[in-house]
Amino acid sequence: MAWALRSAILGHVRVPVKGSNLLTPLWLTHRTTVRSMSSHDDHLEKTQVIDRILDIVKTFPKVDPIFFSVTPEVHFQKDLGLDSLDNVEIIMAIEEEFKLEIPDKEADKIDSCALAIEYVYNHPMAS
Amino acid sequence: MAFAMRVKVPPNSANLQEARHRTFDFFRAACRSIPSIMDIYNLYDVVNPSQLRSTIAAEIRKNAHITNPKVIDMLLFKAMEELSNITEHAKQRHHIIGQYVVGNQGLVQDAANKDENVSNFLKNFYKSNYF
Repeated sequence: MAWALRSAILGHVRVPVKGSNLLTPLWLTHRTTVRSMSSHDDHLEKTQVIDRILDIVKTFPKVDPIFFSVTPEVHFQKDLGLDSLDNVEIIMAIEEEFKLEIPDKEADKIDSCALAIEYVYNHPMAS
Repeated sequence: MAFAMRVKVPPNSANLQEARHRTFDFFRAACRSIPSIMDIYNLYDVVNPSQLRSTIAAEIRKNAHITNPKVIDMLLFKAMEELSNITEHAKQRHHIIGQYVVGNQGLVQDAANKDENVSNFLKNFYKSNYF
């Protein structure tokens, strides 16, 4: 009885069909970019990483920010004329800024801004 | 005497490269203990961590001209001792501020960095009007 009533009502109620949802494939809709249940979604943007690292290098006391334009491709020892100790100091400043802990072997290889940006961007714990 | 037997000294570095590596290791250890130092001695209003890092780097750079690995090891031993003293609160706030924050022009006249070319008259002249 109730079932008959229900089917009669459903026959009269019109639900508008949103055609656009059917035309675009599911993997292109907004649902793929917002993962509401994921706990791994707060990666840093590359532009954020670049800005913060450039800030660190610019506010380094031995680097003259006005004279030389600090670009994301700059090499610490060759372009900025820094020491190897200054190199280690900049890496420590980056560690403090992004709350990371960079092991010694990796820290020895980070020689320029580009490498630092790449390392921080690919690090899962950067924040 | 008993304390001297407890301290373990690592073997000497074989060459300059290893001594250099040990210096960087010490520098990293010192920088990593900076937040704890600022917490212990309450230096938040006095200095920020990057200044402390620069001070530590300057102290290391004062002895950067040394080439004998054994001498470098000795200096690192003394540096580790100083760092341990600071982190275990064996020093006090005015020691830290006087030695590492105020800087060399403030309190301590450096004997090592005497610039022989500049005369004493000029140094006083640059410092102030009345001398």
